[in-house]
Amino acid sequence: MTATTALWTSIFLNGMAQVLLKKGVGHSKDQGAAPASWWLSLLRNVWVWAWALSFVAATALWLLALSKLDISYAFPLLSTSFILVALLSRLLLGEFISWKRWIAIIVICLGVILIAAK
Amino acid sequence: MNLEVSKSPESVSSTTGTQVLVQTPTFAFADLSVFGSVLLAALGHLMIKAGLNGAAGSVAVQGSIIERLGAYFSQPYVLLGLTVYGVGTALWVFAVSKREISYVFPITALNYVLVTLGGKFLFAEAIPLKRWIGIAVVIVGVGLMQSAGREGSR
Repeated sequence: MTATTALWTSIFLNGMAQVLLKKGVGHSKDQGAAPASWWLSLLRNVWVWAWALSFVAATALWLLALSKLDISYAFPLLSTSFILVALLSRLLLGEFISWKRWIAIIVICLGVILIAAK
Repeated sequence: MNLEVSKSPESVSSTTGTQVLVQTPTFAFADLSVFGSVLLAALGHLMIKAGLNGAAGSVAVQGSIIERLGAYFSQPYVLLGLTVYGVGTALWVFAVSKREISYVFPITALNYVLVTLGGKFLFAEAIPLKRWIGIAVVIVGVGLMQSAGREGSR
């Protein structure tokens, strides 16, 4: 696997992990704290395990990519995960993303690129 | 997929027996968990960095991989940082269950802001002008995210 393949696979898995987590924990309207039983139920939740495994794999691939690539090249590309998560949440979870939210996401991406770029 | 993860007693019924619609408060515990998890993740990273700086001795630099890992993990700040990061991750799982992922995930960009500022104030790392602009742009973006609404209208 080339460093570039590892980098993009890592970015994709990192974004996918968040969508898998959301799929697993669902959407609670309740604004209060969660009971202990809810935390324990996560251990038996296959989506939550998929999140954890994707996260570990993404981190390993990220380290692999960084061992070959310049961090000032790899780091700004991480900002694409914000757009990726928005697209995946729309496609796989049916989240509605208003144009105002899209603008906020793009502004955040630009800010991260400015922080991370050399 | 089970969407109703938990129900609060106050959301079920009032004393009169009628259904009570719980309004989303302006800043609920769920929102506190969103920003709290980002803060703890940044704090954890900075603690790990402080610990690694402390472990910059001879073994940590020249030893084998096992020796180096041993030197890192025997630093109290590294262990404390990992613990704080772990608590932050648990809080993140909670936050994700309360808010849409397309809303909460971009807010984690604040992590870059906090770690950059922490690097300056704790480790005297220089912040070039471009990075200051980036910090301001991310903060504006997170502000826009708030004004765009925490729940997507369907």
